[in-house]
Amino acid sequence: MTSLKIQVNKQLDGYSFSIAPSVREFIKKLFPNAHPANNIFVAYDTKSDFDLYYGKLENYIFPALLGIDNDNDLKKIDEIEFVDTQTGNALHKLTPHDEKI
Amino acid sequence: MTKKFNQYSGKAGHLAVMSEFLILGWNVAIPEVDIGDDIFVVQDDNGTLRRVQVKTSAATDRQFGYSGQFNISIKNLRNISNILVHYVFIARKNNGWSKPLIIRQDYLLDHFEYNKVGAEHEGNITFYISFSDEKIECSGQDFTKYVQDFSDFPFIEH
Repeated sequence: MTSLKIQVNKQLDGYSFSIAPSVREFIKKLFPNAHPANNIFVAYDTKSDFDLYYGKLENYIFPALLGIDNDNDLKKIDEIEFVDTQTGNALHKLTPHDEKI
Repeated sequence: MTKKFNQYSGKAGHLAVMSEFLILGWNVAIPEVDIGDDIFVVQDDNGTLRRVQVKTSAATDRQFGYSGQFNISIKNLRNISNILVHYVFIARKNNGWSKPLIIRQDYLLDHFEYNKVGAEHEGNITFYISFSDEKIECSGQDFTKYVQDFSDFPFIEH
């Protein structure tokens, strides 16, 4: 079972999505061709526009953040949880293993 | 040591750390308004900015070496923004400073969340760091690799 946590920090002007260094190391070990990023910032207005026109931003953030572009690799991840860093609350959950990417 | 003296030693620690960045060719500034960041460290020619927070402590003698106690607000540590904070820990021992320990925010948060490093109390985390000639440790984790880790501040030739 591969379960990953993406940290979400709400800032004054937008969201910062990040993964812990240990998760980055884990990803690199699991997928040697992956290039995980430290963090991705998305302004609030960009997120709401994106959600409206393209669908949930989170579905597009996680491949970019994990640096994985291969669908088969992404499907090896069972669960991705977006967690608010300040409260510890789960904001969103994805199951790439079961979903069509 | 009085609370007032802590302000003096804290400022002395800031200035000591600032001199290390300057000698590497990075410019330094103290924000006019205190919003949590102690120092802005800037690469002049392209404006690359790094945020630095300096934590100082008086050293306490131990059987092997000495230790220092450092407090960080959990809220600040969890506030991961697009420019991460570099925490610099230095302890005052006799008449000199220890070598600085430089840990980027996401790594320190990782240690706290996953390695049980630090003790949580009323919104703060206390890190007890032990210094010896061979090793630097915090809550059983080896922090030696962070000693003078200026890898995010490479030397800039002027």
